[in-house]
Amino acid sequence: MNLILLSLKGLRRDLRAADVRALFLALMLAVAATTMIGFFLDRLERGLTRQAGQLMGGDLVLEQGDPFAESLRTTLRDAGLTLSDQVDLVSMVSQADAFQPAGLKVVDAQYPLYGTVQVNRGNGIESLAQGPVAGEVWIAPRLARLLEVGLGDRVQVGSLKLPVTGLIEREPDQQAGFAGLAPRVMLNQADLAATGLVRPGSRIEYELLARGSPAAIDSLQDELDRLRTAGVEIRDVRVDRPGLGRSLERAQKYLSLAGLAAVLLAGVAVAMATRRYVDRHLDTAALLRCFGASQRQLGQLFAWQLAWLGIVAAVVGALLGLAGQAALLALLVRFLPLELPAPGMLPWAMGVLTALAVLVGFAGPTLLRLKRVSALKVLRRELDPIPAAGWIVVAMASAVFGALLWLYSGDLWLSLGILLGGLVALVGLWGVGRGLLSLLLAALSRLPSGSERSRAWQLGGRQLSRRRAASLGQLLAFSVTFAAMAIIALVRGDLLTTWQAQLPADTPNYFAINIQPHEREGVESLIERGADSASGLYPMVRGRLTAIDGIAPAEKVPEAHRSDGALRRDLNLTWRAELPAGNRLTAGRWFDQDTWGDGESDGPVPISVEEELAGRLGLSLGDTLTFTIGSDSVTGRVTSLRHLDWESFQPNFFIIFPPGALEAFGHSYITAFHLPADNEDWLGELVRDYPGVSLLNVEALLEQVRGILGQVTRAVEFVLGFVLLAGISVLYAALTASRPVRAHEGALLRVFGAGNRTLVRMQWAEFALLGFASGLLGAALAEAAAVGIYAWLGLVPTLHVVMWLVMPLAGALIIGTIGFLLSRGARRRSPMASLRLLGET
Amino acid sequence: MKSGERELVILDQLSLEVERGESVAIVGSSGAGKSTLLGLLAGLDTPTAGELELFGQSLRALDEDGRAALRAGRVGFVFQNFQLLPTLTAMENVMLPLELAPRQDVAAKSRYWLTRVGLEARLDHLPKQLSGGEQQRVAVARAFVGDPDLVFADEPTGNLDEETGKRIIDLLFTLNRESGTTLILVTHDLSLARRCDRCLTLEGGTLKTVEQRHGAEA
Repeated sequence: MNLILLSLKGLRRDLRAADVRALFLALMLAVAATTMIGFFLDRLERGLTRQAGQLMGGDLVLEQGDPFAESLRTTLRDAGLTLSDQVDLVSMVSQADAFQPAGLKVVDAQYPLYGTVQVNRGNGIESLAQGPVAGEVWIAPRLARLLEVGLGDRVQVGSLKLPVTGLIEREPDQQAGFAGLAPRVMLNQADLAATGLVRPGSRIEYELLARGSPAAIDSLQDELDRLRTAGVEIRDVRVDRPGLGRSLERAQKYLSLAGLAAVLLAGVAVAMATRRYVDRHLDTAALLRCFGASQRQLGQLFAWQLAWLGIVAAVVGALLGLAGQAALLALLVRFLPLELPAPGMLPWAMGVLTALAVLVGFAGPTLLRLKRVSALKVLRRELDPIPAAGWIVVAMASAVFGALLWLYSGDLWLSLGILLGGLVALVGLWGVGRGLLSLLLAALSRLPSGSERSRAWQLGGRQLSRRRAASLGQLLAFSVTFAAMAIIALVRGDLLTTWQAQLPADTPNYFAINIQPHEREGVESLIERGADSASGLYPMVRGRLTAIDGIAPAEKVPEAHRSDGALRRDLNLTWRAELPAGNRLTAGRWFDQDTWGDGESDGPVPISVEEELAGRLGLSLGDTLTFTIGSDSVTGRVTSLRHLDWESFQPNFFIIFPPGALEAFGHSYITAFHLPADNEDWLGELVRDYPGVSLLNVEALLEQVRGILGQVTRAVEFVLGFVLLAGISVLYAALTASRPVRAHEGALLRVFGAGNRTLVRMQWAEFALLGFASGLLGAALAEAAAVGIYAWLGLVPTLHVVMWLVMPLAGALIIGTIGFLLSRGARRRSPMASLRLLGET
Repeated sequence: MKSGERELVILDQLSLEVERGESVAIVGSSGAGKSTLLGLLAGLDTPTAGELELFGQSLRALDEDGRAALRAGRVGFVFQNFQLLPTLTAMENVMLPLELAPRQDVAAKSRYWLTRVGLEARLDHLPKQLSGGEQQRVAVARAFVGDPDLVFADEPTGNLDEETGKRIIDLLFTLNRESGTTLILVTHDLSLARRCDRCLTLEGGTLKTVEQRHGAEA
């Protein structure tokens, strides 16, 4: 107890010391960054799952061609799920002489499980958490235009005539699929039977939507597996989250990465500051030993002192983190208008744990040195205990950082990989750093020594080389710091560029499908006139995969994927001579004259398959696929696999044939285009001239994706700011740690007659050289690390030429400036005072 | 010469003139202000009032840099606790003052002086690998390496045992005599002080002559 009080007292007296302030700052930043990101990701994840649930219509969606059994409903309800029934079918809807195919959505009283329907019932657009009541229908405005009906008019649905009481602006569970492209008619479950549309042989999809906790859904896994094998299509919101997919996953990974970078940087800062802290306390420790303190007591005393520091820093950091995540969330609130649960206790605990772990790992071995102080040091000042061996310090810090990596990523192998890679890089860096320093110094010694300026550079360089061990240590710390800062900045840049490139301003906001061959030219010229970008027309043939290598897919495909949607539905097939824009070959060769021939040869035609589908179905190059199209069939051999970007808002195809193979089959065309906001008249023209063409407006979805990416971008920049701050704290800690040595040196040089100007130039040169070398090494490290990190994030690696130019110069400037400012105080004192201040004269 | 700072007056009504080639000892009890006086004489510090001249030039007229420039290459120092840079080897410590101005044979000169003080075998040792006496010998070599006109020694034996201290002093006086340097020695050791041409005692902020052999004034 006494020791604890003593340690508190000691810490209070210590608070003025620069190293203690650096320690505090570094720990606080580490905790703030990790808790902020922790809180934020936790809530973002929950919010997005909720939103995805809304897009899907529920947390769990079951779909099949027949009504669901009552026993299944009971099972789901017993597990704690709220259920809603929905039936989808396509049928003709008419008014007077006008007929239109429409996508019927039959909803019950529970609809919608999430979100609201935006509907105009004559009083402007309202948000309602319900569907139409029995005896009424709501229809899409487009259908109203096509049928020339308004609110209150009656439309014929099957054998029922129902009044239109609402125009649907937006459904909560509207997905950009092509199955229900016909304009929407929404009616109440109570009316379905009376329409007479449910007949044997009619194509109806029954959906059972469920809302509930992940735990409830998990408890049903066995039952769900059984249903899957029975052919029920099951979508789980956590697995089949639609919408943002990879973009957001990347952002989340980026944020985690940035959090860890902040922790690593703080760790380096702590390690540097602790060295100075220990040096400063050696005398105190020796004195306490004289007074009879045991090694154990000494160890405890200083450990407690740092523990107090760590705890206070953690609490302050966590509060900062909490404020930070609130700010991040405020950025996102427009797109996640959800009641998010209050921040949990976990990020707090993680914050304190992180601070203490960083202290133990990065300060522990160095701190042990205080324990080993000999009492005799009081009399013989030179009796300093030997510092902990470098490898012990590195090993301990690596172990702790590895553990934190594991804790945060939950991936042991990834953590080990990063750690080992990091250690190898560190060893390499050590060697390269030595070489680089020697090289720089050799270059400097060739400078003509006449001018004062070049002498200052030479002197600075010489000082650097004479403190070789310390300089190398600083060089490594600064390189790692610069590399971490650079990586976070680089990835941010490339992430944003990728997002912007992915959704440029003219990203298609409309899809037009069902364009008949004879309408093709007309539609094409119309689009050319009105749209400011278009994907071009793709032919589309619907065919079902009926054999793989001559065997039924159900027997051939890996068991886990036998109920894959691609096997249960018709696939959209297309033909094309060139690889579509945005597609990338990952295996095999694209069609050319050699592989495709003249189209007259017998045997299977070459086809190109999307890689993820190929993976699911266990397909590889050379396999043959047979598709049934109408009453015919066509067989192709897989000659290439393609990667494609599903978030591109472009027509995408699983299977592409070469020209000449499918033309004989019935086909229509699809295209995507971007329509400027003020061109609604043109849209009317298209609808009027080509009533058979279905238009799908994806503007809302596009806006949502853009909006979220925009907000996440801000979050990413916010976090980048944090990492940069953490980096600056490392520089501050490191330069603080070396300040006494430099002050001593400066004072002596002035005693020997060096003028202030010489000293300023020399110190500036020394820091700038250090900064230059660190920047160069940091750039190398960042470039090397980027290769791995980019692969992890799914970004395309590039060479960052600008970084190689900017980093050495920026390093020289930053380190030079900070070092210059930190040594300003010593320069202002008289040399006598400087020497006296060091307790020497 | 007067130096007053608020209520604390360290040196007061003090005047001293030192001739080229002379050796002067300043003795006094601990806290008498000996080191302060030495700092002022060397231009390491500035008095709040009074006139100081070094090599015939008024220090008052010079700023910090000007005073440094005046010292450069002309003044050597030996401190009580050596003031060696811990990260530099013996050789590098001695080379340091020479490197401030472009000079030839920096390494050769340093090696020569380290040999003169008997450390030719320890050139690459760091200060912490040397004994106290050896460290002070490095400091002595450093003081003489630039062929100074004037050497200041502040309690050069203060941190050494008697035997080692005596050897350092012998060395200091020998080198001083051979080089014809002016020596200003601050010490509390009267026997040491008597070896100088002139011995002054500092008491209550003023100087008094203790012994006069070759004509000096206080």
